[in-house]
Amino acid sequence: MTGFGSEILLPRRRRRRKSNWRGLVYIAPAMALVIVFFIMPVLFTGWMSLHNWPLMGASRWIGFNNYVRMANDSRFMTALNFTAYYTVIVTVAIFAIAFPLAIFVEKERQFVSAYRTIIFLPVVVGLATASLLWVWLANVDSGFIGPALKALGLLEKSPNLLATFDTAFLTVVVMVVWKIAGFTMIILLTGLQAIPSELTEAARIDGAGRWQRFRHLTLPLMRKTIALALIVSVTGSILAFDQFYIMTAGGPQNKMISVVYYIFNQSFVSFNLGYGAALSIVLLAILVAISIVQLWLLRVGEERP
Amino acid sequence: MIKRLLAATSIATLCLVSAASAAENVEMWVRSGIGDAFKKVVEAYNSGHENKVVMTEVPFSELVQKYATAIAGGQAPDALSMDLIYNPAFAAAGQLEDLTDWAKSLPYFNSLSPSHVRLGTYQDRIYGLPLSVETSVFAWNKDLYKKAGLDPEKAPANWDEITTNAEKIRALGDDTYGFYFSGGGCGGCMIFTFTPLVWGAGVDILSADSKTATLDTPQMRKAVDIYRNMVKKDLVPAGAASDNGANFLTFTNGKIGQQSLGAFAIGTLVTEHPDINFGVTLIPGVDGKPSSFAGGDNFVITKGTKKIDAVKEFLEYVYSMDGQKIMAKYGSLPTRGDIADKVLEGLDPRMQVGLKAIAVAKTPYTLQFNDLINSANGPWASFTNAAIFGEDVDGAFSSAQSEMQSIIDSGQ
Repeated sequence: MTGFGSEILLPRRRRRRKSNWRGLVYIAPAMALVIVFFIMPVLFTGWMSLHNWPLMGASRWIGFNNYVRMANDSRFMTALNFTAYYTVIVTVAIFAIAFPLAIFVEKERQFVSAYRTIIFLPVVVGLATASLLWVWLANVDSGFIGPALKALGLLEKSPNLLATFDTAFLTVVVMVVWKIAGFTMIILLTGLQAIPSELTEAARIDGAGRWQRFRHLTLPLMRKTIALALIVSVTGSILAFDQFYIMTAGGPQNKMISVVYYIFNQSFVSFNLGYGAALSIVLLAILVAISIVQLWLLRVGEERP
Repeated sequence: MIKRLLAATSIATLCLVSAASAAENVEMWVRSGIGDAFKKVVEAYNSGHENKVVMTEVPFSELVQKYATAIAGGQAPDALSMDLIYNPAFAAAGQLEDLTDWAKSLPYFNSLSPSHVRLGTYQDRIYGLPLSVETSVFAWNKDLYKKAGLDPEKAPANWDEITTNAEKIRALGDDTYGFYFSGGGCGGCMIFTFTPLVWGAGVDILSADSKTATLDTPQMRKAVDIYRNMVKKDLVPAGAASDNGANFLTFTNGKIGQQSLGAFAIGTLVTEHPDINFGVTLIPGVDGKPSSFAGGDNFVITKGTKKIDAVKEFLEYVYSMDGQKIMAKYGSLPTRGDIADKVLEGLDPRMQVGLKAIAVAKTPYTLQFNDLINSANGPWASFTNAAIFGEDVDGAFSSAQSEMQSIIDSGQ
C-alpha cells in the first residue's frame, strides 16, 4: 500500500515543485520592484531611526532614544490628534457625497457619461494644483468665495477664510471632497454595477422597498468595494500633507500640522532625519494596524454572500 | 519639413554644447523677497563676461532646507546667497568652501562689512563674504497722507502718531488702509519689522547668550497691543492675517498708508513703482526710541565645486564699483565701506535712511534661528499670529515662551 502511494505521489510533487519555480519567475519582476522600492527603504528607515542622523554631518547610534523621545513629544501628539480628526471628517464627507453620486450615475439615463466625466474631472487635477487653485478662490481680496459672498449681500465684509481654524479647515475639507469624491464614486460605481440585476428584481418581486433593497441587498454585496474605497480614503487622509502645506502652511497658529507635515518639519526643517525616520516607522505601524482593523470589521476575507 | 527641424535643433544643441565648453555656467541660488538687486547684478555680469551665472530664486522660507537637502543629495548649486544668520550653522557642518586665503588677498578685505565677515567666520577660517546689506525701516505714503489732511513731509515719531494717522487714512475709503504687516505666521517678516519695537525699548526676545527665551516682557506686551489695536480698529487689511510673506510688499499697491519695510523695498519702490510717493524713517520703538534689524546675505561657495574660479570672478565683479552701484540702485546697501559714499552718490536720498539705520540696528545670533524664528511653524511665527489676531494673548505668550525654551534646551 505504502509503496503504491509513494509511487503516485512522487511525480505529482515534482510537478508541483516545477510549477512553483515557474510561478516565482513570473512574479520575480514585481518582487524585485517591491524589494527595491519598498522593503529596502523601510529597512533603511528603520536603521536610520536608531541613530541621531542629522541631514548634514555624521550620524551616531542612539538605540531606541528616538522612540522614547516620541512618547513625550507633545507636538507629535497634537499632530496625531489633528490627523485623526481630519481623517474622520474627510472620510465621512467623501462617502456622504460619493455614495449618492455613484447611485445617481449608475442608472442609464440621458447624459450619464457626461455627468460621470464632470464629476470625475477634479480627480485628474494634481493635489498641489488644486490646493493653489483653492488658495486663490479663498483669497479675501482677489479671490472668489469671499468677494462673492459680499457681492450677494450675505456678508458685510469679505471674510478671510484662511485666517481662522474653523473656516480654513472647512475650506480644506471642501477642496479635498471636491477633488477626491469623484474617485471614490468610480470605485463605488464598479461595485454597484457588479450586483446582478436578477437579485434586485427578485427582491422587488418579494416586495422589498427601496430602503430595504439598499440595506439588505446593495450594502452587503458591496462590502468588498466599500472596504477598498474606505482603505484608500483613510490611508490618503492619514498621509495628507500637500493641502496643509500649500493652503495654510500649517496655520493658523500651527493648528493644522498633520503627522506627515510634522515628519517633514522634523526631517527637513530641523534636520533631524533620524527622528523623522522613527516617526515614519510609527506612522507605518499605525497605518497597517488601521487597515487590518478595517478589513476585519468588513470581514473581507470570508466568503459570505 | 521634419528634416529641416531636425537640422535646426541639432545645430542649436551643438551651439549649446560648444558654448558650455568654452565658458563656465555657475549655478547660484538666491532667496526670494530680497528685491531685484542681485538679479540686476547677475544680468550686468552675464552681459559683459564669458562665464555666465545661472540664478535660481528659491522661496525665502525654504532656502535653508532646500540647500541642506541638495547638499545631502549631492545636487547643491555652486554658490548661494545665504541669509547671513545661517552662515555659522553651515560652516560648522563643514559644507562650505574655505575662502580665507583668497578673501585676505582682496585689497579691500578690511573694509568689507564687519558684521557679515564675523558671521561668515568659523574657528578663524572665513566661509562667507558679504553680498548684500539690508536694514528695516518705516515707510509712509505721502500722497495718502496729503489726502487724509496730514503733513506729508513729517515722519511719525511714535506709535500713537502712527495709529492716529492710520485712522485718518482708513477714513479715506473702502480699500485704503492705514497700516500693513505680514501677520500670517511669517517669522522672517516679523523679526525684521516687529522686533525693532522692543529692541528700541532695550529688551530682546532672547537673552544675550541666546540660551534663555525672554519673550514675555512688558515692552513686548505693549508692542502686541499696538498692533492688536490697529487690527481691531480695522486699519489693517483682512488679508494680513493669513499673509505668510508672499504679500510682504503690499505697500507697493499704493493703498497702504504706512508699513515697516526693508531697504531692498526702497530700491524696488524707486525703480519699479516710481508713481508711489513715499517717505522713509526709522522704526520707532514702543517708547519712541528707534531701532532696526540689520540683515542681509553672505556669499558662500559649496564645498567641492569645480567652478570655484568662475565663482570668485563673479564675486569680484560684485565688489567692483560697477557691481556695487547696481546693487545699491536696487536697494542693497554697499558692502564695501571704502567706497560706500561714492556708491551712494547721486542715488535716491531715501537710501541714506537705510544706511543710517545700521547705527541703531541689531542682528540676532543663534544657531537655532531657523527653528526658533524663521520656520513657518516655529514658535515665533505662530506667536506673532496668535498674539495679534488670536483671542488668547496670555496663552500665546506662555505657549511661545515655553516652546522657544524647549527648542533651545534640546539643542544644547
